[in-house]
Amino acid sequence: MWGEIMLILKPKVNFVVTVEAEITPELATKSLDEILNFKVYYGKNLVKLGDLFEVKKEGDDKKIILDGDFSRVKWIGCRMEDGEILVKGSVGTNCGAYMKGGKIIIEGNADDWLGAEMNGGEIVVKGNTGNLVGCAYYGDATGMSNGKIIIEGNAGNYIGEKMSGGIIEIKGNAGDFVGTEMRGGQIIIHGSCGFVGGDMRGGEIAIKGSFELLPAFIKKEEGLWVGDVNVKGEGKIRAIKS
Amino acid sequence: MAIHIKNGIVIDPKNKIKAEKMDLFIKDGKIVDEKAVKKEECQVIDATNKLVVAGGVDMHAHIAGSKINTGRTMRPEEMRVVRRVADTFRAAVGRVLLTAPAIGYEYAKMGYTVSFEAAQPPIGALHTHEELDAIPMIDKAALPVFGNWHLVFKFVEEKNIEKLKAFIAWAIERTKGFGVKAVNPGGVEAWMYGKNVRSLDDQVPGFNITPREIITSLIQATEELKLPHSVHLHCNNLGVPGNYQTTIETIKLASKFSNSKRQVLHVTHVQFNSYAGSSWRDAASGAAEIAKVVNSIDNVTIDMGQPIFGHATAMTGDAPFQFTLHRLTGAKWSNKDSEVEGGAGIVPLVYLPNNPVHALQWAIGLELGLLIDSNKVVLTTDYPNGGPFTEYPYVMAMLMSRKMREKELQKVSPYVQKATGLAAIDKEKTLEELIHMTRSLPAKILGLENKGHLGIGADADVAIYDLNPLDVDTSNEFEKVYKALKTAVYTIKGGEIIVKNGELVKEVWGRTYWVDARSKVDLEAVMPDIENYFQYYSIELQNYGVEESWIRMPERIVVG
Repeated sequence: MWGEIMLILKPKVNFVVTVEAEITPELATKSLDEILNFKVYYGKNLVKLGDLFEVKKEGDDKKIILDGDFSRVKWIGCRMEDGEILVKGSVGTNCGAYMKGGKIIIEGNADDWLGAEMNGGEIVVKGNTGNLVGCAYYGDATGMSNGKIIIEGNAGNYIGEKMSGGIIEIKGNAGDFVGTEMRGGQIIIHGSCGFVGGDMRGGEIAIKGSFELLPAFIKKEEGLWVGDVNVKGEGKIRAIKS
Repeated sequence: MAIHIKNGIVIDPKNKIKAEKMDLFIKDGKIVDEKAVKKEECQVIDATNKLVVAGGVDMHAHIAGSKINTGRTMRPEEMRVVRRVADTFRAAVGRVLLTAPAIGYEYAKMGYTVSFEAAQPPIGALHTHEELDAIPMIDKAALPVFGNWHLVFKFVEEKNIEKLKAFIAWAIERTKGFGVKAVNPGGVEAWMYGKNVRSLDDQVPGFNITPREIITSLIQATEELKLPHSVHLHCNNLGVPGNYQTTIETIKLASKFSNSKRQVLHVTHVQFNSYAGSSWRDAASGAAEIAKVVNSIDNVTIDMGQPIFGHATAMTGDAPFQFTLHRLTGAKWSNKDSEVEGGAGIVPLVYLPNNPVHALQWAIGLELGLLIDSNKVVLTTDYPNGGPFTEYPYVMAMLMSRKMREKELQKVSPYVQKATGLAAIDKEKTLEELIHMTRSLPAKILGLENKGHLGIGADADVAIYDLNPLDVDTSNEFEKVYKALKTAVYTIKGGEIIVKNGELVKEVWGRTYWVDARSKVDLEAVMPDIENYFQYYSIELQNYGVEESWIRMPERIVVG
C-alpha cells in the first residue's frame, strides 16, 4: 500500500511473556544500529529490540510495518506524533495510547486500551478490539480528547469512558457501558450495544442497532435522548435511522 | 559497632551547640562520650566541613492507617511513579501518596528518623499498626483520635474527669497509641446528621456539651495523666474563611493550664485555620494575628501545615470539611465512618501557583513559619494534605532566605500581595532555628527525651549534610541549601548507617512508641460504661485493640 517501505519488524520467536515496546514511526528515522539497540522490556528484563525482532530498514521515512503476530507486544505507537504504523497481524494492549498524530492501521485485532487518552491522529482496526477503547487510565480525569478511531469489527466494554473529544466509529457491535462519564466527542456504533451513557455530561452516542437505555435519560424527540440527569448532563444518545 | 564522626560541624540546639567543629561517638545505638569507645575499633566517618545534626522528627504526618490506604485505593494514578524496583530493598512506588516502604526510604534519604501518624481511628488501630510495621528505617507512633468519641462525650457531659482519664488510659493502651489527638471536636459527630459545628460554643447534637468543653476536658485529663505529649488539636472550622478567630479563641483555652516541661496544647497544621475574610472571594491571611497570640502565650505550640505546589491528597478525620472540599473542587471523595468514634474523608487535590486560594494558603504557611517564635512552630506539610514531606527542605530554605521568597512570589498569583503580608516580611530564620524547628522542638513537644539532639545518651539518629554552616550564606545560597538538605550524605539510625551519599545502604526497623498511663487510674470504674458502649460497636470488646506482642518493635513508655 505504501510506495516504499521504510522499517520492517518481524518477531523472531513466539513470545512467552509480553513485550513492552514503545515503538513509534520516529524509530524509522534512526540508524540501523540505534534501532537494533532500542530498549524494550521482555517480561521484567530490559533487552534490545534486535534480540526479539528481525529488523529490515529500507529508507528514512517515518513508516513502520509490523509483520507478524504482535498480540503480545504492548504500547505500540504510544505517544506518537506523526508518521504511520501498519500492523499486519494483531496488536497488544495500549496501542496508540497518548497518541498525538499520525496513523496506525491494524489488520488483525487490537487488545484492550486501544488509543487510551489519545489526543490526535487516526487508528483503523480491520478486526475486533478489546475493552476500554479511547478511555482514561484509572485515576485520570479525561480519556480520548481528539483524533479518530475506526473499528471495522466489534468492540468490548467501556468504550470511550471519560472521552472529551474526537470520534470512535464501530462498524460492528459494542459491549456494555459505552461513553460512561463522557463529556464531548462522538461515538458511532453501526451494530448493537449494551448500556450507554452512564454519568454522561456531553458529547453524542449514535447507535444504529439495539441498545439499553438508562432511566436517567430524557426523551427529547423520536430517536433522541438527553442526560445523564444525575449529573445534570447534556449528552445526546441518538438512534440512527436505517 | 562503634562509629566516630570526625570533624563535622555540629548544630545541636537542645545542647546549645551552634555550628561547632567537633567529633561525635556512637556505640550500641546511643551517642556516647569519647572515653566510652576504643577509637581504633570505630568506623570513621569523615564529616569535614559538613553539617552534622540529629535525625529529623516529623511530629504530624499521615503515614499509616485506613485513611491513607483508602487514599491509595482511590488514587491509582499516584501509584504510577516507580521510585524503586525490588532488589535488596523492597519495591517503592507513589508520586506523593507513597507505599509504606517508600515512606521509610524517603524519610531516611532526607535525614529524618522519626515520624508520627497523626490521626489513628481507634477502631482502625490494628490496621494502623500493621502498616506502621511495614514502614522501615524510622521510629514511629500513632495518635488516636478522641475529639468525637461518644464515650468522651459522655464523661465530659457528666463532668467526670476521673472517668475520662481512666477511659483515655484504657483507650491509649488498647490502640497502642501515644497521646490524645482531637479532630474538629464535636464537628464530626454533627456530620453524622449532615451538619458541622461552627464555634466553640455550638452544642454537639445529641449531647449537652460544646467543643470548648471537650477541648478543656481533654487538656485537663491529659495533664493529670502526665502524658508525654499534650493534646494535639485539629481546630474546629478548618478550611473556612474567617476561621482564624476560632483558632485564636481555641489557643486561649490553654491559658488556664500549665506544665513546666512542655506546652499544654499543640495546635496542628495551623495554616488551614488561619483565614480571614468571609468567603473565598475575599479571603485573606489571619497569620499575623495568630502569630501574635501564639508568641504571647507560653504553653501553646503549633505546626505549619505548609502547602507545596503540586499534587496532594487531603485526608483528615474532619469528615464534614472533606465534604465541603469535595463540593468546592468537584474532585472525587471518599467518606469514612469509624462507628461511635468519629469519621474521616479523603479528596485529591492539586495546589496551583496561579490559583489565588492556593497561593494564599502557601503564603499563610510561610507567614506562620516566619512570624512565630522558632521555639513554638514546627515545620510540617501535614503530609499528604499540604503535599509531600520530601519538600521540607524547600520550606526550610524559604524560611531562611528572603531572596528565595521574592523569587517564588513572582511565580504565584498576585492575590497574595494584597491578601497577605508575606512580601513585606524581611525576617530570615537561621539554620540553627530551622534545625531546632525540625529536630529538637518537635522532640520536646512530643516528650521524646532521647530524640532530636546529640547529647550523651541520646539515640544515635544522626543526619550529615553536604553543607558547611560556618561558610554558607543561607540568604543568598538558597539553591545550595535546598539541594544539600534534600539528600543526606549519611543518615544514621540507632547507630547504623542506613543512607550513604543519598543512597540506601541498609534496611533497619524502628521502634513503635506507645504510652501506658494506666497505673494511677481506676480502670474498673470505667469498664461498665465501656462494655455498655460496645453494644453499638460492630466488634466485641475482647476483639478490640492491639496486643503489644503483635507489634514488630514496641517500646512502652510508662507514665503516671
